[in-house]
Amino acid sequence: MEYIECLKKSIEQHASNNALCIADTYYTYHDFANEIKKIRQAIVTTIEASEKLIGLVTNDDIQTYASIIALWLEGKAYVPVNPENPIDRNYHIFESTQTKYVLDSSKEKTIYIAFKVINTTDLKETYPNLNPKDFSGDNLAYILFTSGTTGNPKGVPITFNNVQALVDAIDAEPDFNLNSTDRCLQMFELTFDFSVVTYLFPLLSGSCMYTIPKEAIKYFYVFKLIKEKKLTVLTMVPSIINYLRPYFHEINEPSVRYCSFGGGALHSDIAREWSSCLPNCKIFNYYGPTEFTVYSGFYPYHKDTHTKAHNGIVAIGTPQKNTLYILVNETNEDVPIGVTGELCLGGPQITPGYWKDEERNNTRFFTREEHGETIRYYKTGDLCIKDDDGDFLYVGRADFQVKIRGYRVELSEIEYHAKTKSKEKVNMVALDIENTLGNAEIALAIESEPFDTTEIFNHMKSKMPGYMIPTHIEFIKEFPHSINGKIDRKKLKTYFKTN
Amino acid sequence: MDKEAILEKISTAFTQVLEHSNFTLTDATTADDVDGWESITHMMIISEIETMFGIKFKLMDLMNMNNIGDLVRIIQSKI
Repeated sequence: MEYIECLKKSIEQHASNNALCIADTYYTYHDFANEIKKIRQAIVTTIEASEKLIGLVTNDDIQTYASIIALWLEGKAYVPVNPENPIDRNYHIFESTQTKYVLDSSKEKTIYIAFKVINTTDLKETYPNLNPKDFSGDNLAYILFTSGTTGNPKGVPITFNNVQALVDAIDAEPDFNLNSTDRCLQMFELTFDFSVVTYLFPLLSGSCMYTIPKEAIKYFYVFKLIKEKKLTVLTMVPSIINYLRPYFHEINEPSVRYCSFGGGALHSDIAREWSSCLPNCKIFNYYGPTEFTVYSGFYPYHKDTHTKAHNGIVAIGTPQKNTLYILVNETNEDVPIGVTGELCLGGPQITPGYWKDEERNNTRFFTREEHGETIRYYKTGDLCIKDDDGDFLYVGRADFQVKIRGYRVELSEIEYHAKTKSKEKVNMVALDIENTLGNAEIALAIESEPFDTTEIFNHMKSKMPGYMIPTHIEFIKEFPHSINGKIDRKKLKTYFKTN
Repeated sequence: MDKEAILEKISTAFTQVLEHSNFTLTDATTADDVDGWESITHMMIISEIETMFGIKFKLMDLMNMNNIGDLVRIIQSKI
């Protein structure tokens, strides 16, 4: 695997550079290599060669990052779980991937007692080198779980070939080149697919990444890092700058060279204001679902020359190298230029398919013949328009999936968990509402006289991560309905006051 | 205004935004110690406190604020 070979070279060549800055402590590539070798030795001596899917508890420390690389050198996949998420959810993930082994760097005694746990902070023996094993590119590199409609998260497996295709596509982009003196923001939890680009590309170029402590108020810490560490490369979700917007007039950071956005709609007014805060910066509006290995393409935003937008949302531009974008109607036929269709992605970054979910695989993927070749496409559920220049413009979602702080959330999963523990058998609808900062929040509308919801909320908290728990709740005697008898979700949203 | 009075006012702001009062604020209290104090509510608490005291925080103040003690000091320096 070419990119793993490049990782090894970069780690060895940049031994004296800083690789990571975690809570103000720096670790060099030499330190990083040592941790990788120790964890690799434990993997080689403990885990059978046939075991490919290894659990990883994602703490904010050097061992967690080193674990990913150690697994990759051995041709194994990481299955990350966030220690802050409910244990039920994490157990469910490991059970569905039939994971037997878990790498855990937690300070406290491990809670994964049903599994064979390797404590990665307490290893003595060292593997002799960082040479990658010879393995098939069809092996999985990671499996990430995102919100699912039936109450259980759905798994998206990504192969080493998929990641290689992502690296090839980014390398082919002449306007984006990291170098060994760059200082890069890594603000993402490792269960979130955006994190793959924010740790992989800094490591490949020998630059240093700066993480966010889990207890910090994220947007202020991001700014603190930009200011005090003079970060040069930012990758973030738009909600971060929505929070910082009231303070834009205090921000002027000439050190930043690149700022990439993804994981949510970027509004053009805020993009314009933000770009004034970063006078020397190129802004990229990236697009891409987890199913297509993080990024599939981007629009190079510039406040004077590249301002294409639709309904105030910055365009998502064109597909990157080897990626195909098509827009189709309900029967998977192409729609003409200027007409809204569902965006479908084809190319080498496409996932082999959802983990053990034939039904979903049959509906979300399709193949068709193009120029004598069979191309497999993933239906993103995002509606777009292609304009005369060939740029793609984002219109909205085709279903009930929303983005909360960059995370994909199926509203039906929230409704499912809210209803299961409710003694009152009443209608409940989860909604995404926008607060005054322009960020989406989850609201729960209940068709009933008011009652105590403590138990319902405790249940939801035991089943879903924090970002999926509704922050607003309203009891409504009778839900508004549209003419054809469906619950009028738009009208329902007007019952919620945001401040 | 003395520290106790400031703390009391801050507590009111927290209760209003978080809709509960299951906390005791001391100098060492951080977001970790108070249920519901996170990204979104932090912004709301800050703006509630700004209105209460008739002050305006700078981004520099906020980025170096790690606990309630820091918050009280910043408020004292502005009123």
